[in-house]
Amino acid sequence: MSTASDTLLNPELLAQLERLELVSRKIFRGRLKGERRSTRKGQSVEFADFRNYVAGDDLRFIDWNTYARLDKLFLKMFFEEEDLHFYALIDASPSMNFGTPTKLRYAKQLAAALGFIGLIRSDRVRIETLGQPTNRPAPIFRGRQSVWRMQNYLNAIEPDESSSLTEGVKNFCIRNSGKGIVVLISDLMDKQGYSVALKYLLSQRMDVYVIQVLSAEELEPDIKGDLRLIDCEDDDVAEITASAPLLKRYQKTLAAFVETAREFCARRGMNYLLANNQVPVDQLVSGYLRKRGLVR
Amino acid sequence: MSLINMLSWWQWCVLGAVPPAIVLLYFLKLKRQPLEVPSTYLWLKSVEDLHVNSIWQRLRTSILLLLQLLLIAIAIVALMRPGWRGSKLTGDRFVFLVDTSASMSATDVKPTRLDEAKRRVEELIDQMVSGDVAMIVSFSDSARVEQLFTDNHRELHRRLEGIRPTNRGTMLGEALRVAAGLANPGRAFEISETQVAEGLPTTLYLFSDGKFPDVEGFSLGNLKPIFVPIGEPAEPNVGITAFSTRRREDNKEMLQAFARLENFGPEPVTAEVELFKDDALVDAGKVELKAGGAGGIVFELGDLHSGALKLLTHSGGVLSLDDEAWAAVDPPTRSKVLLVTPGNDALELALNTESAHELSEIEVAPPSILETKPYEQKASSGYYALVIYDQCSPKQLPQADTLFIGRMPAGTSWTADPKKPVPQIIDVETAHPLMQLIDLGNVKFVEGQAIKPPAGANVLIETDAGPLFAIAPRDGFEDAVLGAEIVGTNEQGEREANTDWPLRLSFPVFVLNALSYFGGSATSISAVNIQPGRSVSLRSVGSAETLDVRTPSGKTFSLTREKAETFNFSGTDELGIYQVEEPKQPPQRFAVNLFDSAESNIEPRPENTVRIGYVEVKGQAGWEGARRELWKALLLGALCVLGLEWYIYNRRVYV
Repeated sequence: MSTASDTLLNPELLAQLERLELVSRKIFRGRLKGERRSTRKGQSVEFADFRNYVAGDDLRFIDWNTYARLDKLFLKMFFEEEDLHFYALIDASPSMNFGTPTKLRYAKQLAAALGFIGLIRSDRVRIETLGQPTNRPAPIFRGRQSVWRMQNYLNAIEPDESSSLTEGVKNFCIRNSGKGIVVLISDLMDKQGYSVALKYLLSQRMDVYVIQVLSAEELEPDIKGDLRLIDCEDDDVAEITASAPLLKRYQKTLAAFVETAREFCARRGMNYLLANNQVPVDQLVSGYLRKRGLVR
Repeated sequence: MSLINMLSWWQWCVLGAVPPAIVLLYFLKLKRQPLEVPSTYLWLKSVEDLHVNSIWQRLRTSILLLLQLLLIAIAIVALMRPGWRGSKLTGDRFVFLVDTSASMSATDVKPTRLDEAKRRVEELIDQMVSGDVAMIVSFSDSARVEQLFTDNHRELHRRLEGIRPTNRGTMLGEALRVAAGLANPGRAFEISETQVAEGLPTTLYLFSDGKFPDVEGFSLGNLKPIFVPIGEPAEPNVGITAFSTRRREDNKEMLQAFARLENFGPEPVTAEVELFKDDALVDAGKVELKAGGAGGIVFELGDLHSGALKLLTHSGGVLSLDDEAWAAVDPPTRSKVLLVTPGNDALELALNTESAHELSEIEVAPPSILETKPYEQKASSGYYALVIYDQCSPKQLPQADTLFIGRMPAGTSWTADPKKPVPQIIDVETAHPLMQLIDLGNVKFVEGQAIKPPAGANVLIETDAGPLFAIAPRDGFEDAVLGAEIVGTNEQGEREANTDWPLRLSFPVFVLNALSYFGGSATSISAVNIQPGRSVSLRSVGSAETLDVRTPSGKTFSLTREKAETFNFSGTDELGIYQVEEPKQPPQRFAVNLFDSAESNIEPRPENTVRIGYVEVKGQAGWEGARRELWKALLLGALCVLGLEWYIYNRRVYV
């Protein structure tokens, strides 16, 4: 078990991740006191504001110094420190089982890294797949002690699910009504499209990150000759003769696809990131995601 | 633009099946390899765009197929041998007559006329298509079949390449007979039994400068002649047409050399000539020659006894063979003469003069010698130039000229009437060298017999009783028979004179004439000019059985004695001095020179002036040059296509 977890997050990466924390551009209310400020004023050491005292307020928060100077009762308000809900939604469709390393593994590594950051900051971490049964929600991890549990859970994910992107996201939204950060890790290669799914996520008023993972074989296909391409999910067939113009055309189509997704997300306040499975996860997290503001 | 078919119908069928086979194989080959991918989503979108101009796309994807078809198409076109210009060969049987005579060595056409002729024949051979046959005959003064009818181009080229120039004259007749014999079977001439079974129309190409006389009385039959004149008109050429040496009349010790030069060019020439003796320059001179004119030059050589003379002109023009001439000077040789007589003082005295000794070495022997071995050996080996049989006759005639006095040659067709008294001389044949300067008007014979010489004889003294002295040829020798004795034996066995001739001046003159005529001293081999290719009769000075002849280039031929005393040598193809070597004897020399005005006159014969029999031969002066063929360029193109296909296949760079 420990071997499997080692392969997902190696110690160097863990050391690197320990310094990071998840950042939400929106402040959400957590259920438990966590390590981040909430819009709710509460009991922390960080001063937020004053307000007039009304009957029934906790006398411990009255600012007696002000009362002495102004002869009025003011209540000192502090930021409440709350926990963050972090969701990682992994696409475990068969199409994710391609590439070296497979896109699914890459997604797991990414989810583990982000989840680890959340766990050490006492955030609420829940990792789900698109094919997660509605009646069997994924466990919630919290606290550093849950790191190994989370990794075991991730390792148990197998690429045999056959739920569409839209359906999976919809189920996820039904199960998780709370606010937080959701990171959708998928190749977005769904023939029904990704827009409906992303709109579902958007409607949750969550901080949405879309990480599209593509393998090197998809980004730079190295194929020759007359081929019969078979879709691994629906056995759809495309007959092609790999030629320079076709490969050029493919590159253009891919670029257009990526650009469309990026624009779609940008317009709706979502963050989009294209991840190549050849880029190491630590580089992605500490580099790209840091720049995008998911971690700091 | 014209095409030459190189393949037979079934070969075309095989070739025609190749393109459909390529297309078929292409479609069979088009089995797509299955490949599982994460999603065909993007691929389908990409292919959709390409489907918009699908015909072009299909062409693009099958570029290899198109290139292969193009390759085959180029190969097919190349096999049809497209080309242009060049005279097309008509007919399917050809005889190429190539002139190799001396004038074909002229360099007015570079490199030589013969090379130009060979080049043109090569071009015609290259045009021959499958099934055509050709024969090559080279000719000078004789014809030589270089290659019998064959369709093997390589063999024709090889044999053509082997044709070498000669120094000989030109005679077309024999070459025509050779060609006609093979084209018109049933004629007298046959080369071999495996030849043509039936007469077929044959085109006869005659490559020559036309230095041959018209051929009379010859029927061409199936031959269709085309004369291709080789050579440029109005080219300069000066030739030496004669070169000889002679002793001065007034002083026999002094030698003179005479040369005659002719100018065959259109411009007057001052020809410079140089005379070499044994390769050392001894004299030089200039000869003014008008256009088409001739001139002579005389060199005084002093008391030269022997040597090889070479005359050279540096203004020789385009034919170099006639720019040099050779002459051999040999010391005068004395012939060997045997007198067999029981005793004849008058004759012996006449043979003992100084002049007689200059001409001959004379032996005198009694008739008993005729029975001895040494005589038989010498007589049969040609040791003697002349044997005089006085009052005797051998059982067998010697290998020598003979003079019989008072006897008939035994065992021959000479016969004689019985002796008659006092024959009166009526007529003397003074035109014959033997009887030159001889007056017999005051000569009387006591008795004589009329002789009956064999056919072909020449009667030299005619008497009232019949011929008294006659000469007749015998196997390369001559027998002269006098029907009266000079000294006879009477009934008492005493010697007595039969004539008063020895008292007359004409007798020693007659003896000298006989020595000079039979002795052969006047006909020394060195004095005779021999033309290349002619055979030479050589005589042994001693009695050797073999002679070695060394040619100018140093080759040596060994000759063995023929039936007669002569040795026949026919290897006179080179120009220059030939040396005849004989053991224990000084070498003899003779010169072979071109000396042929017809060959030196290199002006080529105009077309349409050649007549064979009664047929005027069609000329083809305007040679159209080699046919320009495209097949090499096409094959190069095919190679490029192949290279392109290979490149595209390997690099997958589609256009």
